[in-house]
Amino acid sequence: MGDVVIELEHVGVAFHAQRSIGGGRYWALEDVNLQLRRGERLGVIGRNGAGKSTLLRVLAGILAPDRGRVRRSGISCQLMSLSLGFVGHLSGRDNAVLSGLLLGLRRREIVARLPAIREFSELGDFFEQPIATYSAGMGMRLAFAVAMQVEPDVLLIDEVLSVGDTEFQEKSGAALRERMREGRTVVLVSHDEEQIRRRCDRVLWIEHGRSVLEGHRDEVFAAYHRDLHHPAETA
Amino acid sequence: MRRHLIELVLFSTYAELRAEAARSYLGLIWWVLEPAMMMGAYWLVFDVILKTGGADYIPFLLIGLTLWQWMKQCITHGGYAIWSSLPMVRQVQLPPIVFPLIAMLSDTVKFFFIFLLLVVILWALGYPPNAAYWALPILFFAIFLAAAGAGFIVSALVPLVPDLRFVIEQVLMVVMFLSAVIFPLDQVPPSLKGLMALNPIAVVMDDARGILMHGQLPNWVGLWKVYVISIVLCAIGVASVRAFAPRFPKLAS
Repeated sequence: MGDVVIELEHVGVAFHAQRSIGGGRYWALEDVNLQLRRGERLGVIGRNGAGKSTLLRVLAGILAPDRGRVRRSGISCQLMSLSLGFVGHLSGRDNAVLSGLLLGLRRREIVARLPAIREFSELGDFFEQPIATYSAGMGMRLAFAVAMQVEPDVLLIDEVLSVGDTEFQEKSGAALRERMREGRTVVLVSHDEEQIRRRCDRVLWIEHGRSVLEGHRDEVFAAYHRDLHHPAETA
Repeated sequence: MRRHLIELVLFSTYAELRAEAARSYLGLIWWVLEPAMMMGAYWLVFDVILKTGGADYIPFLLIGLTLWQWMKQCITHGGYAIWSSLPMVRQVQLPPIVFPLIAMLSDTVKFFFIFLLLVVILWALGYPPNAAYWALPILFFAIFLAAAGAGFIVSALVPLVPDLRFVIEQVLMVVMFLSAVIFPLDQVPPSLKGLMALNPIAVVMDDARGILMHGQLPNWVGLWKVYVISIVLCAIGVASVRAFAPRFPKLAS
């Protein structure tokens, strides 16, 4: 295993419950510890509202912690977002460039990849049409094709593995697996245990904004399942 | 990193203009038609009906409105930009200042089209382009800085207190009436005249009319003061956006 690229120590993030004078705060993350090493594929599991997505946004550098410490070793980190910044009245081509820029690519990098995006999204001549004319599936294919062009040091993925129809799901899944095989550092958040079991080496389990267990995936899954069946033991 | 942000701002500006043109049947024509209709409405009320001004009133009004609309749009569109981009702010790590900047740049591109129309109208009214036009870019830059500064400040506050949106339009209307946009400030009591002269917007309105109507160069001392005020506004604006930046991704729009 490589050196530590991101380290979280007792990280907590608080949100305001609502926009009113004197409204209280709630802690979406209470106390999370995590060491992410270069080249590892870390899965994050936990029930709904456990703080998984918030954790990804902390790793991406979008949210600053309200307590605890985040240490990162000068690496680029990108949350893989679909349809980021898409504008309905613009063509698929313009949206690909816009979204790519928002995802941190330089303009010439995206322009060089436009043929690949067009190919991958199977849009054909629709690539030059406003995306408002697209079907939902076409829009998702374009979104996925653009998102796949992003190449940060650490790729953060939030349950976007399957989009479009079955055929495209297989294709997008394959493309993503290839990305993950390239030795890139990946953090994957998913409800789908199968996804994580197949694609990750290590797993972090969080519950109510706290890290419960971090370790080899089989070990963490075993503990997670024991808890699912007997929640009283750790709650 | 910095180059990348410049590319992002420029392409987003292009995308915004292009999307706006695509949203309506007449597209680009509205950029000029809408302000022309507004000018017509003011002309109808203040010149035809109220008989506010003398011979010079129509160019006076058109210049005032053209510049004011540009400023106002930079302040409001720029001011609401972070708030309306919150869904994106939650998804990517970007300096939030890019959002108001994109809105202001696209308003500025539109302003240049409207300004060209203004020059043509002035020419038709008997005020041809003159040698003093070279001072216009200096004046425009001061106006942009002032509007951008005010817009940045608003853009930092609106996401935190969206209620401000209901106040800003009214405040801007008062500012417009106090800045010699629609009618000259001749009727102001002498005791208030000194105070009014400090209003940077009134100063640039005067300068613009001097250039466009009389071929008169700006009062440089006055313009220098406007620059100082504008730069201070910009600094406060940029600093407040930066100061509140960590809070934006946590806010609901």
